[in-house]
Amino acid sequence: MGLSSAAITTPSEALKFCIFDLRRGQHEGEELEKILFFFPADLPFPTQLSVIGLSEGLITFTRIFSPEAACEVIEAELHSHVFFEAEPDIWMVMVVAKNKETEAIWRIEALRSVLKEIHSLFIMFHGSIRVLLDKEPGGGLTRSHLFTFIMDYLNDFLMGNKFVLPNFRDSLKQRGTVQMLTVGREAAIEVQSLVGALDSCMGNTSGYSVILFQDLLVSTTLTPDDTTNLFSYATSRLTPRVLSSGRSSTWSYLRKGNAELASRSASIGSGLDGFRIVRPLQHGKWSKGKDGFLVTDIWGVEVGNLVPTTPTLWLQQTEHKMYLCAYQHKSLTIILLIPVTSMLNGEEGISMLKQQLLENASAKIVKVEEKLAKGWGGENAYHVKGYRYLLVDGDRNISRASPPGKVTTLTKESLLAINKVREDVDLEKSRGNGNNDDKDLEICIRAKNNAWVIARSTRGKELYIVLEKANETLLYASEAIEKFSDRYCNGAFSLD
Amino acid sequence: MASDSSSASSSSDEDEESAGQKPNVDVNINSIDNSLDAIENQLSSIALNTPIDERTLPSTDYHQEPVSEIDDGSSRESASEMRRNSIGESSSSRGSGLWRNNLGVEVEVEPEADGELSSPSSSGYAGERGSSSSPTSACGTDVIRELRDNGSSIGDDGAVPLDPSQTQWIRGKQHADEDDGSISWRKRKKHFFVLSHSGKPIYSRYGDEHKLAGFSATLQAIISFVENGGDRVKLVRAGKHQVVFLVKGPIYLVCISCTEEPYESLRGQLELLYGQMILILTRSIDKCFEKNSKFDMTPLLGGTDAVFSSLIHSFSWNPATFLHAYTCLPLAYTTRQTACAILQDVADTGVLFAILMCKNKVISLVGLQKASLHPDDMLLLSNFVMSSESFRTSESFSPICLPRYNSMAFLYAYVHYLDVDTYLTLLTTSSQAFFHLKECRIQIEAVLAKSNVLNEVERSLSEGGMRIEDLPVDPSANSGSLFHLTHRKTPTNGTVTGVGGPAGLWHFIYRSIYLDQYVSSEFASPISHPHQQKRLYRAYQRLYASMHDKGVGPHKTQFRRDENYVLLCWVTQDFELYAAFDPLADKGVAIRICNRVCQWVKDVENEIFLLGATPFSCLLEVVVTNQILKPSRGTIPSSGGCQTLADCHDHHCLYHQTSLPPSAAQWLQKKKQRLASWFFL
Repeated sequence: MGLSSAAITTPSEALKFCIFDLRRGQHEGEELEKILFFFPADLPFPTQLSVIGLSEGLITFTRIFSPEAACEVIEAELHSHVFFEAEPDIWMVMVVAKNKETEAIWRIEALRSVLKEIHSLFIMFHGSIRVLLDKEPGGGLTRSHLFTFIMDYLNDFLMGNKFVLPNFRDSLKQRGTVQMLTVGREAAIEVQSLVGALDSCMGNTSGYSVILFQDLLVSTTLTPDDTTNLFSYATSRLTPRVLSSGRSSTWSYLRKGNAELASRSASIGSGLDGFRIVRPLQHGKWSKGKDGFLVTDIWGVEVGNLVPTTPTLWLQQTEHKMYLCAYQHKSLTIILLIPVTSMLNGEEGISMLKQQLLENASAKIVKVEEKLAKGWGGENAYHVKGYRYLLVDGDRNISRASPPGKVTTLTKESLLAINKVREDVDLEKSRGNGNNDDKDLEICIRAKNNAWVIARSTRGKELYIVLEKANETLLYASEAIEKFSDRYCNGAFSLD
Repeated sequence: MASDSSSASSSSDEDEESAGQKPNVDVNINSIDNSLDAIENQLSSIALNTPIDERTLPSTDYHQEPVSEIDDGSSRESASEMRRNSIGESSSSRGSGLWRNNLGVEVEVEPEADGELSSPSSSGYAGERGSSSSPTSACGTDVIRELRDNGSSIGDDGAVPLDPSQTQWIRGKQHADEDDGSISWRKRKKHFFVLSHSGKPIYSRYGDEHKLAGFSATLQAIISFVENGGDRVKLVRAGKHQVVFLVKGPIYLVCISCTEEPYESLRGQLELLYGQMILILTRSIDKCFEKNSKFDMTPLLGGTDAVFSSLIHSFSWNPATFLHAYTCLPLAYTTRQTACAILQDVADTGVLFAILMCKNKVISLVGLQKASLHPDDMLLLSNFVMSSESFRTSESFSPICLPRYNSMAFLYAYVHYLDVDTYLTLLTTSSQAFFHLKECRIQIEAVLAKSNVLNEVERSLSEGGMRIEDLPVDPSANSGSLFHLTHRKTPTNGTVTGVGGPAGLWHFIYRSIYLDQYVSSEFASPISHPHQQKRLYRAYQRLYASMHDKGVGPHKTQFRRDENYVLLCWVTQDFELYAAFDPLADKGVAIRICNRVCQWVKDVENEIFLLGATPFSCLLEVVVTNQILKPSRGTIPSSGGCQTLADCHDHHCLYHQTSLPPSAAQWLQKKKQRLASWFFL
C-alpha cells in the first residue's frame, strides 16, 4: 500500500506544519529559501508561502508590543496556529483544524510540547538546525534531515489516513516528562548495585547508563533533559512493548510513502541530493539480537562484514557525541551511552564493552529483572481507586498518571472540563513566568455533570484530578485531594 | 462619600495602564520600526526595510503637562458641544426658534419635511457632522468648567475619589500626540482600535487616529489575510499580550492588551465598544460602506472621544460590563415604589422607556408593555449620558440607537439632570415628542420633589450600599432592611477601620439571573485602593469567563485560591454569587459565609433590587400563579419559572417553601436536607 495522494491530502486539511528561518530569503524572489520544512510537502508553493507569510507577519507585529515574547498562538475560528521558536529565528508553526465533531479540541500547550519534542529529539540525533545550516548554507542538508525525521515522527500520530494529535482526551498525560517505576528498598539496592556494575563495564570512559522496566524509568545517570529525550526515544522505539508490537503494516506503508514524499521534497531543496540520511525514528528498524543486544541498521552497515554501525547521538548539555548501546532482558532495557571520543578503536571497543557487560553484569541484570517483575503491579499499578489524576513534577521532569485504560472511563464532559482547567493553569504559569515559579494555585470546579475537576499547583509541582462521584461537597473534594496528596505526593499539596 | 466602586482616580488608572514608562527604555527601535512597515509586505512574502523616524519621545506623566491637556481637551470639548448642539439644545438659547440655531452650523443636515419642530437629525449620523465652528454660549462655559475640574484633579492627585464620568470627561482622549512610533504608545497596557474594512482608522484609545493610518492598515491586512484563507482571526497571543479581533460587517475592532483579562472579557469589551458606536450612529452606517468602501467615518464620531474613553475606563471598574446586568441604588422599598409609580404614569402616555438613574445605578425603570431593555443597552446609554458634559448643562433631546433593542433604528432620548448625579432619561420612537417629554419630566420632577425621593437618593449615595462588615453574624437573625441599621453612618473623617467582613470576606457580587440585576458590596479596607479594586474586578472577570465557558460551561461551583484571593463562585438557575476572601481564608467557613451573604441579599432584596417594574417581560406571568410570597419580599421574587414541584431543581426556589401539601412539604424538606449536605446551606 503506498501513500496515495488522497491519503496525504486528507490529513493535510487537518494539519499543516512548517519550519522556517527568518534569517533566510529576505530578498524578493528568494522567499522559498526560508522554508526548511513544510507538511504537506505537495501543497503549492504560494500556499506554503502564505502560511509562512502570515506567521512571519505576526511574529513581527507582536514584537512591536511584546519584544521579549513574540507570537505564540493564533486562534482563528477554524484553526489554531501554534508557534515555537525552536532556535533563535528558527520557528516551528503547526496549524491544526478545529472540529468539535471529530473531537479536534486542542490544548495549545499540549501541541507545543509536540513541537518541543520534535526539536529536542532532532537535536539529539542530528545536532542543532542552525549548525546544519551553517555546515551547508544551501539548506538541502537541513531540509532532507528535517523532512525524513519529522515524517517518521508524525507517523506515530497517523491512524488510518488521519493524524490524531494529542487532544482533550490526553488531558491527563504530560508529553516531555518521564514516568518512573516505584521500587521497594530492597530492589533499589539491587538496582544501585547493577548501576555500579554497568559503570565498571564502561571503565573510565565516563559513560552513562539508563535502566527501564517496561515503559518506566528505573534509574539514570544522565541529566534530566537528556534523560527525558532518551526516555521518549526508548519508549517509542526500543522497549519490549514496542519491539513486540512493531513490524506492523504501518512502517512499510509509511516507508514507501516517505520515499515518494522524499523524492518530491528534493525539489524544495536546492537540488542537493545524495546526503546519507540517518532515520533514527524509522519504524520497525530495531530488533533484539541473540545476545540480548538491540540492533538496527539505521546508522548503516559496516562495509565488508555486514555488522551494523553502532548508533550515535548528541548529549544536549555537554554536546558530546555518544555511542548508544542497548541491551534487553525480558522487561528490562539497559541503555549505555559511551563518548565516541573515548572509544579510540570504535566498533571494536563497543564489542569489547558488550562482552564485558555479558560477563560481568548479566547475573545482576537477571536478578534485578526478577525482583522488579515480582513487585510490578501490572499496567494498572498506579491506579488509585476513585481518582483520575495527573501528577507533574516540573523541576524533575517527571509525571505519573492514571492508567490510560482508566482515564477512558471518564465522560467527555469531565475530560473537556479538565482540559479547560489545564489551559487555565498554563495561562497562569505563563503570566508568572520567571518572577515566581512557586506560584500557589488551587482550582476546584464542580462541572455541569457534577464531576469535581481540580488543579493544584505549588512549588513547581502540579496535580490534576477528576472526581466523578456526584453529590459530594467541596469540602469532601478538598479532603479527597488532601488524602491523595498525603498518600502519593508526600504531602506536597497538603495545606498544612 | 461612601467607597463607591467607581471611584478610581484618574492618575492611578493611567499609572497602571501604562506599563512603567522609563524615558530611556532600551529597545531596539529601528528593528521594531522596520518591522511594522514590513509586516504587510511579509504577509505577501515580500520584505521591505523602510525605517520610520523615531521622533516622538516618551511622553511625560499626564499631570506634568496640564496646559497641553487642557488645550487639547477644550478644543475637543467645543467640537463635542457643537455636535450636541446639532441634536440637543442649550437651555439658555431655548426659545421659539428651537432647532433653528442649527441651520448655520449643519450644512449637511437633511431638511426635515415637518418644519421647525421636527427632530434635529432623524436622518441619523448624517446630521451629526459638526465640523464648522459656531459660537455658542455653552462652549465658553464648558471651557471654564473644564479648567476648574482639571485643576482640582491635579491638586487632589487622586486622593479624593473622582466621579468616573467626571474623570473621563476631563481626560477625554489621552496622549493624542503619540503614534505607533512612540515607545510610550507601545507600552500602553491596553489599546483599543476601531477601523474600517478598507483599513481607515476610526478610533484609537491612545494616539492620533490620522497618524495611526499605517498601523491601522496593518491590522486590516492581518484580518483580511486570514479571511482570504477562509478563516476568521479571533486572538493572537504573545507573551503577556493578547490581540483580540472582532469583525462587525465593515467595521473592525481590535484590542491589544497585557492586562491578564481573559479573551472572552476583551471580546465582550469590543462588543460594547461597537455597541457604543451603534448607539451614536445605528447600524445603518453599514450602508455608507456599501456605497463607498473607502468611506471615512471619523467625522461622524467627532467629539465623542470622551464617550469611548469613559466606556473603556468603565471596563476596569464597572462589573456591569462583564456581568451583563445592571445595578440599583439601594433605596427603601416605598421610596422606589413612589418613583416607579410616577414613571409608570408617564410610560402610559406613550413613552417607550422611562429611566431614572443616579450615576450608573438605577433608581427606577419602567418600560412600555412588554418592551424590554437589555442591561448592555442601559450601560451604553448611561455611559453616553454621563460622559457627555452637555447633557448636564441643558435638557436635551438626542437621537440614540439601542443596539440590543433595534440596531437599525434611532430612538429619541430626552435627558435631563435633576441634580448633580441624578438624571432622567425618557425614550420614545417619535422624533417630535420633545415637548411632550418635557412636560412629563416636569411632572416627574414635581412628584419626586414632593415625595422626597431625591433626598433619599442623595442619602443613599452618601451612605453606600451593602457593607460586608454589616453581614448578619447570626444566621437566624433577619436583618430585614439596610436602612434600619443604627451604625449606618458615613465615616466622618474618611478613616476606615474595617478589615473586611467575617472570616476574611473582602467583597461579593450577587447577580440575580431573572432580574438581570446585580448587587456589589462596598469595598472594605483590604481592597480600598483603586488598584486593588481593578485587580479584583479582573479576577472576577476571569472567574466569570471560566464559569461560563462556551465549550464546557456553565459550571456549578468554583473555588479558586491564589496568592491574592480566595474566590468562591456559585452559579444556580436563579443567581450567581462571586465572593472574594483573604487568601488564607478557611474553605469551610468561607462556604458558610457565602451562604449567609445569599440569605442577607434575599432579606434585603426589595431595597437593593428593582422588583415588579422589571424591564424584562418574562416575570409577570409566573408570579401570579403563586400566592405564597411574603409581602415583605416585594411583588416579584428573585426566582421564578417553577410551575410544579417537578420543575423545581433548586433549593432557592421560593415558590415551594410554604403552603404545600404535607407530603410535598416533606419531600421538599428532604430535598433541602440533601442539598444542604452537599453544598452551602
